[in-house]
Amino acid sequence: MSDPLIRLTGITKVLKGQQEPRTILDGVDLSVDAGESVAIVGRSGSGKSTLLSVIGLFDRADTGTYELDGVDISRVPERRAAKLRSSHFGFVFQRFFLLKHLTAAQNVAMALVNGQGWLPRRERRARVMEALDLVGIAHLAKNRPARMSGGEQQRVAIARALVRRPRVLLADEPTGALDTETGALVIDALLAATTRGCGLILVTHDRDHAARMGRILDLDAGVLTERVPA
Amino acid sequence: MRRFSGRFRSSLIIGLQGIRARKLRTLLSMVSLFLGVSAVVVVEAGASIAERALIADLELTDGIDGTRILDMPPNDKAADIIVSTVKGRTDAVGALSVSGIVGEPGVRPVNEGGSPIDQNWGGGAMICSSDGRCVEDTSRPKGEAIEVRLTALTGDIRVFRPFTQVSGRWLDFATMPSMAPHLVLNREAAKGFERHHVPAEMRVAGATANLTPQFVGVVDDGDVRPSAYVRLDELANWLPASGLGNPNGGAEVRVMLAPSSPVEQVLTTKLRGAGVETYVSTIESRKHRQKELTLMRLIFFSMAGLVLLIGVAGILNVGLATVGERIEEFALRRAVGTPRMLLAGIVLAETLLTGLLTAAAAIGVCIAGLKVVTMVVGDSQPLLHNVQFPWEAGVAGIIAGLVAGILGGFVPALRAAGIPIATVMRA
Repeated sequence: MSDPLIRLTGITKVLKGQQEPRTILDGVDLSVDAGESVAIVGRSGSGKSTLLSVIGLFDRADTGTYELDGVDISRVPERRAAKLRSSHFGFVFQRFFLLKHLTAAQNVAMALVNGQGWLPRRERRARVMEALDLVGIAHLAKNRPARMSGGEQQRVAIARALVRRPRVLLADEPTGALDTETGALVIDALLAATTRGCGLILVTHDRDHAARMGRILDLDAGVLTERVPA
Repeated sequence: MRRFSGRFRSSLIIGLQGIRARKLRTLLSMVSLFLGVSAVVVVEAGASIAERALIADLELTDGIDGTRILDMPPNDKAADIIVSTVKGRTDAVGALSVSGIVGEPGVRPVNEGGSPIDQNWGGGAMICSSDGRCVEDTSRPKGEAIEVRLTALTGDIRVFRPFTQVSGRWLDFATMPSMAPHLVLNREAAKGFERHHVPAEMRVAGATANLTPQFVGVVDDGDVRPSAYVRLDELANWLPASGLGNPNGGAEVRVMLAPSSPVEQVLTTKLRGAGVETYVSTIESRKHRQKELTLMRLIFFSMAGLVLLIGVAGILNVGLATVGERIEEFALRRAVGTPRMLLAGIVLAETLLTGLLTAAAAIGVCIAGLKVVTMVVGDSQPLLHNVQFPWEAGVAGIIAGLVAGILGGFVPALRAAGIPIATVMRA
């Protein structure tokens, strides 16, 4: 049997501030396969975003091992981490973080102009249009964010996450700023990526959206447990 | 190399996007830098123009750098040896000077002793008694005549002293010598003859007769005294070599030679053989003036540097404010895989491009300004007449713009590179 796409084993993370150290992640074990969708739910402050930061190599775990495609990347240097973020991960955040002076296409192209390899302009444009098409807003390519709705902006952000053809999509409350109907469309777009073999880890408060994922994991006081389907 | 090229292009593209997105802010940071770069360009241009003018002035009066000078006391043998050795050569020119009075016959010149026309340096003819007391010779009246330093040339001296032709033409050494010697005046002599229009005859001590001169041109030779240049062979028709080398006639004998001229050794040997003592020197005006030129540049550059520092502070200020505003953008760029170095590169690219644009604008304005100034006051100010914008000033401006861009962008670049990615998660 092949290695899972992501495997976390005994991950701990302790926040050391001016106050007493606080354990955010406490021996987290997690395994995600290619094309699998996983929802992580939990109360505010339960460590969901920290877990996503560790998975997305924004942050490092204090202990435990992190394997990506069977390779231990727990202690990779920042330069390699940047390369892995570019080649393996796509990120979608609650706020869309679109640059207002750029068009939708330029915002998506931003992920391609990141110093990790160089694509000729024509190929770059084709990849951008393909990503925008995947989320159904290719016709808005030349629009700036100010002229788009919240749902459209979030779909541009998803296209930005997809344009490098990532192995895993990490979405941190992507529907938090959207109404129910638009949120559902965004989840549709994210799930569509899993059909192409992309793993999806969704952090959400929304039980309905969580229910659409293949697995639901509860994070409570830094401990991750799999919810048994009813 | 490929990776570097990708990063370089990425930082340029993103840098340009940043500049386009913040046009007003970029313009404001350019304003203060513009003054700094302009100061550097103006100082460099001014220093270059002044240096060239100074060197040109020195070349005019002393000779081109590297020219070998052979001086000797006036001596009738010396004149003969010089003429026979250097005549017809282009790498050596003999210049034998005597005093001459041009104008109304039988009168004392208005500038006795060859003083500048509007000054009296003294040196007029004196009558001395047996007890050693001398008084001015007033036996003849002062009249319409000018005393000039008459320099007889064996060839074209402009190879060594680049005279500027003011009007008319220079001496033609290729034609047969005329019995009425052709004279080229310097500016001061020309000024004198403009006031006293009677160049009837030329009196030279020791000449077989008074000569009838023909004025053919006026040059700027840098000399404040009235001077005239004549072909030696034309003067020699009336003045024997003994007259040209007569120590009592106020004669001066000099030979100018190209640095590697073989004539030098031949001439010095011949002169020594004839018992004439020679003094050899090399013109090194630039070397002698280098210290003061360097000091002048240093002083002006220090002032320009201070103004440039203000420009750098402006870029730094705007750069820091911009990075503060773009924290989320930089965190997001790191999240999508942009390395820290590239983030720093983006900020540096923006400030460098701003610096280069400013430098280009400052150089353009300075070139236009210099053109306007030369058009308006160029005729009245010899220093600015026909002056070209020195390329050194352009290079200095570009360097100043680049340095300002690097200095002003360095700290903001470090800040941008240090922004944690988690910023986007906490937002």
